[in-house]
Parts: sequence; structure tokens; C-alpha cells
Amino acid sequence: MRAAILTDVTKCIGCEECVVACKKTNRLIADVPRRWDAGDGLTSRNWTSVVTGPAQSHVRKQCRHCLEPACASACPVGAMHKTEIGAVVYDAAKCMGCRYCMMACPYGVPRYDWDAAVPYVRKCILCYERIRIGQQPACTDVCPTKATIFGDRDALLAQAHQRIAQKPDLYWNKVWGETEAHGSSVLYISNVDLSFLTDGQAIPADPLPQKTAAAMGAVPYTFCGVLAIMGTVNWVIERRIKLQKEKADGQSPET
Amino acid sequence: MDRVRKLKLVLWLGVGLALSVAAARFLFGLGATTNLGDANAWGLWIGFDVMGGVALAAGGFIVTAVVYIFKLERFHAIVRPAVLTAFLGYAAVAFSLLFDLGLPWNIWHMIVYWNPHSALFEVGWCVMLYLTVLTLEFLPVPAEDFPRLAKVRAALLRLRLPLVLAGIGLSTLHQSSLGSLFLIMPYRLHPLWYSPILPLLFLVSAIALGMMMVTFESHFTAFLYRRKPETDVLAPFAAAARWVLLLYLAVRFSDLIVRGQARRLIEPGVYTYLFWFEICVLALIPLVLLSIPRVRHSAQGQWSLAAIGVFGVVFNRIDTGGLAHLRAGGGFYVPSWTEISISLGIVSAAALLFLFVMERFHVWEQRPADPNADPLHAPEFDKVGTTWLGVPSVASRTVYSLAVIVAAAAGFGFLTAERAQSGGLEPVSVHRARGGDVLWIDGNLDGFGVSFKHAEHMKREGDKASCVLCHHMNLPHDENSACASCHRDMYQAVDGFRHDWHASPSGANIACYQCHTRGQVRTASNAIGCDHCHKNLVPAKASIQIKTYRAVSYVDAMHRTCLGCHAKKAVEKNKPEMVRCGWCHKESREVIDARDIDLRRRTAAGGSPVLPPAGQ
Repeated sequence: MRAAILTDVTKCIGCEECVVACKKTNRLIADVPRRWDAGDGLTSRNWTSVVTGPAQSHVRKQCRHCLEPACASACPVGAMHKTEIGAVVYDAAKCMGCRYCMMACPYGVPRYDWDAAVPYVRKCILCYERIRIGQQPACTDVCPTKATIFGDRDALLAQAHQRIAQKPDLYWNKVWGETEAHGSSVLYISNVDLSFLTDGQAIPADPLPQKTAAAMGAVPYTFCGVLAIMGTVNWVIERRIKLQKEKADGQSPET
Repeated sequence: MDRVRKLKLVLWLGVGLALSVAAARFLFGLGATTNLGDANAWGLWIGFDVMGGVALAAGGFIVTAVVYIFKLERFHAIVRPAVLTAFLGYAAVAFSLLFDLGLPWNIWHMIVYWNPHSALFEVGWCVMLYLTVLTLEFLPVPAEDFPRLAKVRAALLRLRLPLVLAGIGLSTLHQSSLGSLFLIMPYRLHPLWYSPILPLLFLVSAIALGMMMVTFESHFTAFLYRRKPETDVLAPFAAAARWVLLLYLAVRFSDLIVRGQARRLIEPGVYTYLFWFEICVLALIPLVLLSIPRVRHSAQGQWSLAAIGVFGVVFNRIDTGGLAHLRAGGGFYVPSWTEISISLGIVSAAALLFLFVMERFHVWEQRPADPNADPLHAPEFDKVGTTWLGVPSVASRTVYSLAVIVAAAAGFGFLTAERAQSGGLEPVSVHRARGGDVLWIDGNLDGFGVSFKHAEHMKREGDKASCVLCHHMNLPHDENSACASCHRDMYQAVDGFRHDWHASPSGANIACYQCHTRGQVRTASNAIGCDHCHKNLVPAKASIQIKTYRAVSYVDAMHRTCLGCHAKKAVEKNKPEMVRCGWCHKESREVIDARDIDLRRRTAAGGSPVLPPAGQ
């Protein structure tokens, strides 16, 4: 099974029970607005939030658990990691605090303990400890209107398309998370445009880690190439100098 | 004071200031000392210290390649300073990473846990390896002065060619990999900067910068130590830098055209201006002026152009590293003074090391004369006290030590507790409540609050007798003070105690020990609580308790007032939903406004006529 969450924006009433459940399950302490907040309710102590979208809609924000996560590809020590079941999890023991994951995430989801002298990166981990033993994440468990549901990604995708087909007038004909950056485990269907979550930018389907892959693949060839060229140049020049010297030495006694 | 001592004094001031800021950085964390945030996780320390530092070190591999690979011996004079600059540049990069990393003691994880897919992994390994190579390349210079190290020196000199080759390979990778870092963030970096060939652009600009940096350095130390600059040796570098800059411009603009972003060059906006400024200082101005032979061969021309070009490339790195990032709702990032002082402190330390090594070892062909070692050096007197400050070397040390202490003390003074210890909380003032049947309680004015049915609650809880349940009569004879008069901050508790009011009527200074413990320093912690004297401050029925003089935050005050009662009623009525957030927080400002308008409309239509009928 590839775990996934489908959020139907039209069903959300904005009660924030998911936020409360998330905080309780992950033992996150109470939070107040800080100077370094990004302003969307997500902080190192709030791993999910409900933001107001266009037309007073309620849109739940959380980690998208991308199929090809940019954060996991960016982390130099492999602290971010896409598990087989589908959650992107974080190993605090490996982290060295470079915050490249925060820069790489196309949705800007990972958050940092800015107030701590020993800070860690924090984000939704799809309740990995719960889904591993067959339970569902805390947020989908408590949702009173079943606006956000948990299940297998393929089944949820099929259900999303079915809902859109049943009410084509209500929904946008698009499942957010189906293809963006090679798709994600958190899917959205909506009656409003959700591109405000990525600052109005449309995210193409090609996976983000691929963009670095070409440059990284060229590393050994570049290194060997530069060494070979420089070595050859040096050899040729040294030999020429040597020959010139020999020539000069050979000619000088005669003249 | 001569030029060198003046410069060193300024540098020591920079080091001193950074010392106390560094202490705050490691005690209180990144939030307390930087303006970074969740929307801009990288700032000046990455853009300037790391990316700029690496770029400034590019002279090392250019000059070693020219001298040891291409065998152009006439440039031999500038090899040693170039390698020294590269070594110090990389050391500064590694050192400033310790400040930027959240968990710097885990920096060795890079060696143990591998993720070869990460561009930062490549960057980290290049820094480690190239720093080692540079150390081995430069060691023969100080080893000259120690006869015991002759064997080590000879061994290192035999290894020179492989070391130089490795240095060139690693630099090529490293300069370009700093560009690769940003390949994964196409939605964050502005299209005028983002390009799939960023690694190539970084490499080409680094080569140009390396040439200009060597030129700048030679002229600057010549000015400092009144040495003759290597103007003629450097002229071919200036000429070559011209071609590299031309190549850079060609690659950058053709890339913009191929990617179809050329129209952004003329569309007005902050990013467009930033781009053109950067291109002018980085390439256009040096390119045009370097094409004039008279400028290229004059000392002034060389050194001022090199300075402009160096600034331009570093500015390009700062742009790519942070200024040219599109941020989603995070505001604009401006580095805090603490960030700037750490950056300057690291640069100062590196410069001081550079000057030390240059004075102590054989870096330039003519070693600068040490003014302090000159026995004929005139004795120096303190201008104010006309006291002899001792032999010049001791006098300098006294002045430098004083500079460090004064600067560190100043830094300590500038570090305010509000910033360092507030945990990112900033005072948010609360607006006064307004009475009425329905109160709209929304202290932070975000449009999401609680429409509190004041009249209904009053009726339910026993009319006038119910006032004291919530209005807790903290002030004498008070019935209707705004909550915000004491609970002034949205999120932080404030001092609600009026010391003067209490002290004067009780007998001014005589009365201290009515509240404070005798024999101890009088502080809030050893004073008695309000309820000690004001027994009837809060009626027994009320759901809130007041023990201390601290007025809790507005949010806490509102929640405690309501939730105490609601928790009781939820049990009595068996309605657990009464304590859920959504029970009260269910409406937004827009909904309330819309309902009000609707209500007024219905009243106007079905109720009494708004205007009296005509004719009366």
C-alpha cells in the first residue's frame, strides 16, 4: 500500500480538529505567533494548519509527502527519507542543521526551531508510527466531515476523479498532487484554485531531484577531464621547454 | 600611526564585536541573532560568507594553473599570496559554516552519512578536500623558516604537481557546484538568475573573479606596506579577465534568450533593476574600461577595476543566495546587525591572519619591512597623557587588546534582552473592547474571533449579579474597564501591578516589608500575592483566580475566563462539544458583517417604516 491523504476543500468547515489532533498525537506544545513565522500557520510546533483560500474556503496545509521528494534529495546527510509506505520522515540524529531541505521544498513546508539553541527541522511525518501499525493518521481520524481521508494512493486518486466526474460544476477539473513535481501522497480536490499555495506558480510534472542529477552525474567526468587536460598540457609544455633547452645546449658549443 | 596599524586596529575592533555576538548566537540560537525565518532559511551567512568566500578564493587555482601547469614563470611572484588568500578564504568559509549550521557539532556527519544526490554533499566534500590540498600547497612557505622541517618541505615540493592538479580539479567542481545548489529550487530563484547552466555561469565568473582578486590584493598590500605593486606582471591578467568577462556576458545573455526570459530584461520591477545593477558592476563596467590599454596598464586603473569586479561577483553570489529569491508571504529579508557583525568579524580575522603570515613569512618576493622591528623607529607617545607607550610592538599589542575588549563590550551592550531572550515574541497591542448585546472579540484583528453573546450570557447567569463572574474587579470599584487596559499584549503577560499606588498610601518606604520579605533584596519574586490583602478581589463563584500581579496575555485571559465556566457546564449538561474550539470560534468577520446587513434589511422591510409617510 502507498499511503495517501485526500483532502476535499468543499467539505472542510475549518474547525481545525485536525490541527488539535496533530498537536496531541505528536506532543507539540502550544504556540504563539513569532517573528520568524511564514504567516501560513505552519510552524515547528504546528505541522498542519487550515488557511483561508479564495472565496472564504478552508484549505488544510501539511507536508505533501512527494513521491520524488526534493528535501530528501537535497539533504547532504540523508536525514530526510521517503519510506516505503509513503511518508517522508526525518532523522533528527543525522541532521546537521544546514536547512537546505527548507530551501529545496517547492511548497516551503519544513519549519525550523528558530528559538532553540539546539534546533531541528520539523514537519508532518504522516503519523508514520501510526500508519506503520495499520492505524490512520490522527488528522484524518478526527475529521468530523470526512473532508480529509486516508487510504491507498491509487484508490484515493480514483475516488477523487469519480467525485469530480459526479459534480463537474462544483469541482475544478484537477487533482492537486496527482502530477506536480512527479506527484505527491497528499492530494487535493477543490472548488477554488489552489495555486495560491505555491504563490501562483504552476509546478510542472518533472521531478525536482532530476534537475540536480545532471550536474551531479557530470562530477566524475568533469574532475577526470580537467585533470587529464591539465596533465597533458603540462606534459606538452614541459617537454617543449626541455627540447628547447637541449637544443640551446647543443648549439651553444658550436657557435 | 602608519597605515598597517590603523587597518589592524579596525580589524581587531571587528573581531571583538563578533566575539560577544558569537556568544549570543550559540547561547540563544539562530532566531535570537539573525533575521532568518521559515520563509527565508538562508541569508547573509550563506550568500556572503560561504558563496562569496569561495568565489574570492578562486585566485588560488587560477594562478597555480598559470605558473605550474602552463609554466609561465614570470607570474611566479604572485603565486604565494594567491595560495595564501585561497587557503584563508576556504578556512573562513568552513569557520562561518559553524555559525550558520543549526547543529554545528554535527558537521562531521557529512563524512559518515552519504547522500551523493545532494549538491550540498558535493560542496561539503570539495571544501574539506580543497582545504587539505591548500594547506599542503602552502605549508612549504612557513616551513622555509624552520630548518627541522626541511625534509617535510622537500617531500611536499615533490608532490607539488599532483597537488596543483587536484586543486584545479576540486576548484572547478566546487565553484560550479555552488551554482548546482540552486538547481533544485526553480520556483524560489527568480527566472533572471535561475538557469539549468548555473554551474557553468558560476565557474566562468569565478575565473574572472580569481584574476581580479589577485590584482586587487597585490595593489592593496603594496599600498599598505608602501611596496612597489607588480603592475606589469598583472597587466596580462587584466587583459585575460576581459575575455573571460566577455564570455560570461555571452553565456548569460544567450541563456536568457534560449530560455525565453529575455523579455524580463526590460520589464520594470525590483528584480530587473537588481539584475542590471549586478551585470554592470560584475561585467559591463570592468569590461569596457579594461578594453582601454591605458587603464589596463596603470596601477590606479587596475586596482579600482579589480575592486569593482570583485564587488560585482560577490554581489552576484548574494543575489543568488538570497536577494533574488521570490518569497511566499515571508516579507523582505534584511540581515540583522548581528549577522553583519559576525560576517565582518570572520573577514577581519582572516585579514589579520593574512597580514600576520605576510609579515612573518616569505610570501611576497620582498618581505614588507616590519615597522615595529626597526630600531630607529621613533618612540610613540599617547596623545592625551604624553606617556611613552613602550616599545612599538608592545604599544601596538596594548592598543589592539584594548580594541578587542572595547568592541566586545559594545557588542554585549547592543545585544538587547528583548531580542536575544524573547523567543521571537514581539509585543502586540490589544484593542479596547466595546460593549453591546453581542461583543466581537478579535484582539489581533485578523477577522477570526468570537461573537460573544453578552446579553444572552447575562440573562442566563442571573442578570446584574453575574457581572462579577467575568469582570473580576481587579481595579477598585471597577465595573466596565476594557480588558485591554491590563491585558495589553496579545501573547505576552505584562506587569499589571501599580507599585506607586500601593506604596504611597501604605507609608512609602516604611511599608516595603509589608509585602517584601525582610532581609532580602526586594524583587517581585519575594513579594506576597494580591489575594493576601484583597480577599474579595474575585468572588467565590467566579471561574477565574487572581493570585499574582502579572496580567496574563489577552489570549490567555479570554480563554481562561470562558473555559473555566464552559468546562463545568459541559459536565453538567453532558455536552462535551462546549469546550471544543469550534463551539465559540465559528464565524469570521465577513460572516458577521453579512448577517448584520441582512438583519438590518429585514428590519427595514418588515418593521416600522424608516421614513414617515408623506403628507404628515
